[in-house]
Amino acid sequence: MNFQVYNRELCVGHIRVIGVSSSSILLVGDAETIQLASTFDTPPESLIIGPFVPLTPE
Amino acid sequence: MLKRTSVVKSIKADTFGFSSIFEIGDSSYIQCFSRALALQRDTEIFFGKEGKFTEYDIYTEPFIISPITENIYMDTANLHPIINVKSIDIIGVSASSVLHIGSTKDISMESRVKHFRQLSSSPNR
Repeated sequence: MNFQVYNRELCVGHIRVIGVSSSSILLVGDAETIQLASTFDTPPESLIIGPFVPLTPE
Repeated sequence: MLKRTSVVKSIKADTFGFSSIFEIGDSSYIQCFSRALALQRDTEIFFGKEGKFTEYDIYTEPFIISPITENIYMDTANLHPIINVKSIDIIGVSASSVLHIGSTKDISMESRVKHFRQLSSSPNR
């Protein structure tokens, strides 16, 4: 695949972001390859109702 | 290959936590990894030494990302090699994240989070 890029004027006024979190990036610039992967897990059994049991100690 | 220059007039960022990076300038390779065990309780109880990453397989299971087999030829013509941003206003950058002003080559970032919610009584009562 041939990918031809012509970069002309690029002006952004204001960037307002509340948060950049968990392996994210706010990039003002060029990049060749960007690979982001994220997994999160909230199964039904992660909701526990009842007396607080500490998770397994470290 | 000539890179563009990023010009930012003003940056206002309050917090950089948990191994986050504020990079002004070029880089070539960025690799970040973050894993979190998020435990929500409806009362303030904190046992301190709790939670073990090896306990849950979300932190070890591999990501299935198909490799790019097609060979890609990219040619960039920077007719106006400036990226202009007037102002950036960020409250927080956290958990192995990056605020990067400038060019880079390769970025590979990964994040794994497991959530727990412990309620002392069922919410609908």
